[in-house]
Amino acid sequence: MTRNVEAALIVAASVIAALGVAIVEFAGGAWLDAQVTLTFITFLAAFGGLHMAIRTWAQSADPLLLPVTAFLTGVGFIEVYRIDPRLANVQRWSLLVAAGVGAWLLYALRAEGVAVLRRYRYLFLAASVVLLLLPLLPSSWPLHGATVNGSRLWVRLNLPGLDRALSFQPGEVAKVLLTIFLASYLADRAPAMSVVDRSIGRLRLPEPRYLAPVAIAAGAAFLVLIYQRDLGASLLIFALFVVMLYAATGRAVYLGVGAVLVVVGGVVGYLSFGHVQRRVAGWLHPFADYTDTGYQVAQGLFALGSGSLTGSGLGLGRPDAIPAATTDYIFAAIGEELGLAGTIAVIAAFVLLVTIGFGIALRSRDRFRKFLATGLTALLGIQTALILAGVLRILPVTGITLPFLSYGGSSLLASMTAIVLLARISHEERT
Amino acid sequence: MPVLFLNILKVLFIVLLYLFLWQIARAVRANLGPVGSGRSGRRASEIVLIRGGEGKGERVRLRSSGHVIGRSEQADIPIDDPYASEFHARVGLADDAVVVTDLGSTNGTYLNGRRVGNTPTPVRKGDTVQIGKTILEVR
Repeated sequence: MTRNVEAALIVAASVIAALGVAIVEFAGGAWLDAQVTLTFITFLAAFGGLHMAIRTWAQSADPLLLPVTAFLTGVGFIEVYRIDPRLANVQRWSLLVAAGVGAWLLYALRAEGVAVLRRYRYLFLAASVVLLLLPLLPSSWPLHGATVNGSRLWVRLNLPGLDRALSFQPGEVAKVLLTIFLASYLADRAPAMSVVDRSIGRLRLPEPRYLAPVAIAAGAAFLVLIYQRDLGASLLIFALFVVMLYAATGRAVYLGVGAVLVVVGGVVGYLSFGHVQRRVAGWLHPFADYTDTGYQVAQGLFALGSGSLTGSGLGLGRPDAIPAATTDYIFAAIGEELGLAGTIAVIAAFVLLVTIGFGIALRSRDRFRKFLATGLTALLGIQTALILAGVLRILPVTGITLPFLSYGGSSLLASMTAIVLLARISHEERT
Repeated sequence: MPVLFLNILKVLFIVLLYLFLWQIARAVRANLGPVGSGRSGRRASEIVLIRGGEGKGERVRLRSSGHVIGRSEQADIPIDDPYASEFHARVGLADDAVVVTDLGSTNGTYLNGRRVGNTPTPVRKGDTVQIGKTILEVR
């Protein structure tokens, strides 16, 4: 595998994105137009640019990360374009910005590598806590939080001379920063944490003070749940903590304690919050209250069902009938227009991405890089699993984005950062 | 647009998605190959640490990417030996042969009592490698 293969695959992914847009145009009765060219150029510029950055500053990086990312971004972009071309125009700019930030990150890490991140771990911890709390800013300030669909996740910035507020979800970036912090924290503490000191009967427990991080994680996740009413982010952060603790120590007890805390937190959350009850009701009985709590879940199921094996064809379904079709429910929209074949392709691409990520982690020699690669991969994997399980009605809908596919600049930026860091780690392993 | 044309495009598009994924999957498999090489093909070699001559062995299966041995916690095989350097030597595979390379250590790396330089030196089964006061054997 060489860099040239990577370049060829990136061109292929750009062609797929442009071809999808072209098919949407055909289905709408139009002929080839500027949108197709624009899509091709955007993808080529974004991923080709990242490719050049890797060639310059991380020559030995894994050559498959970018093509898979481009593929997922492309499939998501087609569906976003199909549902709302105006959003797709914004998404094109987000993609270019995310690629630019990624290239800058590669440049910034060119000399010292990801090890330099370890130095700023407490800064990252502080920054991610601040970012998570940012949406709580009062609504009257120029930089203020905003409540969308009952969750307070958004921060808006009103600038004079701009009729639309700039908005972003700081929690997305906070997740990546938390992963970096956790990886460096665990790299320092893991040897002590994996020692078994006391046992109660057959249950072998590490020292209580090493269980403290799990308790803190649970607390932080629960705070997010209470103040921002964001089921997805809280579950994602908690699962990430538990998985990383397990990966770092090899002690299954962390998984057990984590599972118990999730069940306890879930029950307490269900009993005390209306929005959790609505989600659970919509999950268990989507058709009992079809017009209200079950509407989104039911519409998603209709979309997946009507898609059948190969779907209606791009541009020929009605995915716009699903609430949040461009973000949380993009998977159902893909299922409607590309069918089971399309959804399996998406899942396969995510499986490949996670395989590549864990492969990088396995090959890492340094403990910090190993944990960081594990954490970033787990972050993408858990997020994907949670929202797919929600759409497929395996779990209640948790309201998080599908990495790379959903519309949304913050999410794309955060996921792209994770990919760039993985690329950098894989480069360091081969030099 | 004629329906037939759109249907053909739909199927072509899905085929294209899978062709792309197929290429990636093949490459991923080729890339992951070395990690699992302990199972396939040649018998895996093992590095056995014999600490302080007590003959107490700790076995490490040799992986194709090699192991750095040294006093640092970041070494692949950390050894608690005051006579060893932070990153002392590297044991790895080159063309299916086990090789040892000194990484510029202070006290040197010895293969059957003879000092090893910074070029990969082949090790045969049963040879002993000395790092500080620690003796390793490749089996």
